[in-house]
Amino acid sequence: MHRALGDDRTDHPVTRRAFDGVEVGQELPTLSRVVTREDLFAYGEASGDRNPLHRDDAAAQAAGFPTVIAHGMFTMGHMAACVVAWAGEAAAVERIGAQFRAAVLVGEEVVAGGRVRSVDADARTVTLETWVTVSRDGGTETPVRKGEALVRLR
Amino acid sequence: MHRDAEGIVYPDAPFVVDPERVAAFREVFGLTEGVPPTFVTAAEFQVIPLVIADPRVGVDFSRVVHGSQEYAYERPLREGETLTLRARLASIRSKGGSDFLTIETTLTDAEGTVVCTARSVMIERTTP
Repeated sequence: MHRALGDDRTDHPVTRRAFDGVEVGQELPTLSRVVTREDLFAYGEASGDRNPLHRDDAAAQAAGFPTVIAHGMFTMGHMAACVVAWAGEAAAVERIGAQFRAAVLVGEEVVAGGRVRSVDADARTVTLETWVTVSRDGGTETPVRKGEALVRLR
Repeated sequence: MHRDAEGIVYPDAPFVVDPERVAAFREVFGLTEGVPPTFVTAAEFQVIPLVIADPRVGVDFSRVVHGSQEYAYERPLREGETLTLRARLASIRSKGGSDFLTIETTLTDAEGTVVCTARSVMIERTTP
C-alpha cells in the first residue's frame, strides 16, 4: 500500500485502531511526500527552529550541502505522521524515538513506513519498528531515520 | 564539550501548548486532530539555544549534529494548557572520536505530573 499526502483519506480510520487484528510483522501503509521549501519554512515557523540551513541555500552551501536541508525533526515528524495515520489518533502514540542517520535535501521524496515488532495483549499496546527512506543513486533506498514507537490501541 | 557540565539543570520556564501553534504543526504534517507526537520539539527549542550558548558546556555548534530523539508521554498534551519546562544535561559521554550530549526535557502539569519526557542526543565531532 502506498499513500501520499493530499490523497483522499476517507478510507482511513477516524478513530483509534482496534488492538484485535493487529499481528506481529504487519506493515504500516507507507506515507510519502516530496520536501519543499514551503514545507521547511512553515515547519521552521511552527517549531521555532529557524536555522538558515533549512531556508537559505547560501548557508546550506557554506555547510557543505548542495541546497537547503530538511530539519531533522521535520523528517521525524513525518515518521510520526505515518504512525498516527495507522493508529487513527495522535493521542495513541505514547512513545516515539528515532536515530538520525542522514540529512534530507529539499526536493527529495521521504517515505515513512513501519512494521509491528511486538504486541502486549494485557496493555493493548503495540511496539512498532519505524523508518524513513529516500531514493538516491538511481533508486537505492537510503534509510535517513530508524525509529521505534509504542502505541496504545483500543 | 566539558564533561563536568553533566547534571546542569536550567531554570524552569513556562511552556504553553498554544492551539494556533499546534494547528500549524498539524497542517505541516497533514494531521487532522490531536497534538502531533513531536510537537514537544517546540518546548525543546526554548532551551537548546541556552545550552549552546552556555560557556559551562562549551559546545562547538558548527560541529554538532542531532543524533537521536525520543518522546515519552504519560498522557496526551491538552491544547491551551501551560506546563512547566525543565531541561537537564542528563549525560555527556565520549565515544569513537565524538562527544554525546543528552538533554532531557520534562514538561510537568499543575498537579505535578510529568506529562512528557523528551531526550535529545547531540553529537559533537571531536576529531577531524
